[in-house]
Amino acid sequence: MSSPLTPPPEAPLRTGALADAEIDAVAAARGLAPEDVAIRARADASSRRTVLALYALAIVWLLIGTIFGDLASFKLHWPDLLTQQAWLTFGRVRTAHLHAVNYGWASLALIGTCLWLLPRLVHTELQGARFATFGATLWAIGVAIGAVAVLAGYNDGMEWLEAPRYMAGPFLVVGGGLLGLSMFRTAAARRAEHLYVSVWYILGAFIWFPMLYVVGKWPTLSGVESAAANWFFAHNVLGFWLTAMSVGLAYYFIPKVLGRPIYSYALSVVGFWSLAMFYSLNGMHHLVGGPLPTWMITTSIVASIFMFIPVVATGINLHMTVVGRFGALRYSPTLRFVVLGAVAYTAVSLQGSFTALREVNRITHFTHWTVAHSHVGGYAFVSFLAFGAIYYVVPRLVGHEWPSARLIRWHFGLVLAGITLYIASLTWAGVAQGLALLDPQLPFQVSVERTLPGLYGRSLGGVLLTLGHLVFAYHFWIMVRRPAAWRARPPFHEVQPILYTAEAEAASRPSAREVGAA
Amino acid sequence: MLPTSLAVVLATAAMTLVPVLVLAWGWRRGFFRDLDAQSRVIFEPRDWRVERPWESPAERLTREVAYGAPLAPRPGEWGGAEGGGER
Repeated sequence: MSSPLTPPPEAPLRTGALADAEIDAVAAARGLAPEDVAIRARADASSRRTVLALYALAIVWLLIGTIFGDLASFKLHWPDLLTQQAWLTFGRVRTAHLHAVNYGWASLALIGTCLWLLPRLVHTELQGARFATFGATLWAIGVAIGAVAVLAGYNDGMEWLEAPRYMAGPFLVVGGGLLGLSMFRTAAARRAEHLYVSVWYILGAFIWFPMLYVVGKWPTLSGVESAAANWFFAHNVLGFWLTAMSVGLAYYFIPKVLGRPIYSYALSVVGFWSLAMFYSLNGMHHLVGGPLPTWMITTSIVASIFMFIPVVATGINLHMTVVGRFGALRYSPTLRFVVLGAVAYTAVSLQGSFTALREVNRITHFTHWTVAHSHVGGYAFVSFLAFGAIYYVVPRLVGHEWPSARLIRWHFGLVLAGITLYIASLTWAGVAQGLALLDPQLPFQVSVERTLPGLYGRSLGGVLLTLGHLVFAYHFWIMVRRPAAWRARPPFHEVQPILYTAEAEAASRPSAREVGAA
Repeated sequence: MLPTSLAVVLATAAMTLVPVLVLAWGWRRGFFRDLDAQSRVIFEPRDWRVERPWESPAERLTREVAYGAPLAPRPGEWGGAEGGGER
């Protein structure tokens, strides 16, 4: 009987990079239908080049953005550092940092992972892979133009949207549109009967981002209108773009590595739809005390508290999926990054809801607290998810495992230590700064001096992050440029499936003693 | 007062209401039927059978009874290095 979910008639699958004989052999050895093996192998193969290119670009932007971030941080406690060149002044390097890590690193890494994941989830090949590749290229060019323009002093003056709309904007819009086109064509060509929750998150992100960008960059807005549009975009780009993709990925990687379904699938559905309905109201809480109608601010604060619903639903769900399996974090770098990222998602969201309250906001507004908060979200949550995803996906793209467990451990240790120090230092500095600013007995200079220990801590944390990123970039480089001699091992099973012979299966069975003990 | 932020108010209203309509549409289309099957759509037969080193013997036995003989993890299976488990 035909149902609304019946997939469209299948296109011929038995063409492509993998030989039919190989697919038949793998399918026979694993007791699967040849079509199932072919779908999966071709789904992975279809996005391989694009995803690898996106990851490489993302890591380049991670390094560039990190250097600018370090420089901006140093300038806060060494204000005379590199002040002779205009393009190296604080206002430009700090903006270039934000632009590079948001649109370069995080967006490209997450888009790449989504391009790899979506065909898997809907059991088809990536449709319009050329569109996706071209779109990714345009996006990358747009990011580069935006960064150069910002450093050269061309700036639209809106936080998170500094890149000039008539220079970088067209590349980001057309590039993002082509990537979205490929995503939606892939979803439309699905062979899977069910849509997994990650599909909702991924497709939602590609619907929401253009809407946010158009409103944020609307050319006729000015003054207070512009401020409202600015924070409508800047807050929602985290929730509807970076968070949407990241949570979608967490819902895939955690159960996939653990080999058990998500704790409550119904909760995941509640989490997605409540995010979709409530999040867009949140942005105005950044303008508490600003020249906006009170009802707008109050509505935003109420909506921020409503965010408890999706956050708690998602947090409980991911936590309960892992609970009792924390030992897996020792074996899986992917899980280590993704689980910590999921914890950071819960933390940053709850922190954001509390920060929206007027009594908290009067202390934390215009302080380093906000910068710490954005790094809990942008780094501890989003970047950790991206790292975990890259560790999982790249071996499946290049056909061999990561060369060094030690480098992975160094990367994890450095970035964990760095971001912990960074967030702790700036959170403390923000509270000290806010309290000093509220004290009418204290001169302004005191509020600056009290933040200095926190600013040094932030810079040290930034240096640790930089070292971690260098380790990660080097590891990625040797991973994709690995000499032929290193590839002696069989290719990774999910790129070119390895035959599971009877001998290999017998060798992997638990011993009689283990079974008896169980 | 309202025109001060008309673009934001309209965009916010659209972004709040459209998901309600999409949810209703998806519900009628049957996208939320059989949630248990949806939760398992990411798994392939091999995923259930791969031996996970962090699982107890009882859990491994449960897997074997439910899904068949366990399979050894491949190098890099968990996103790491050196034979499926980090050393």
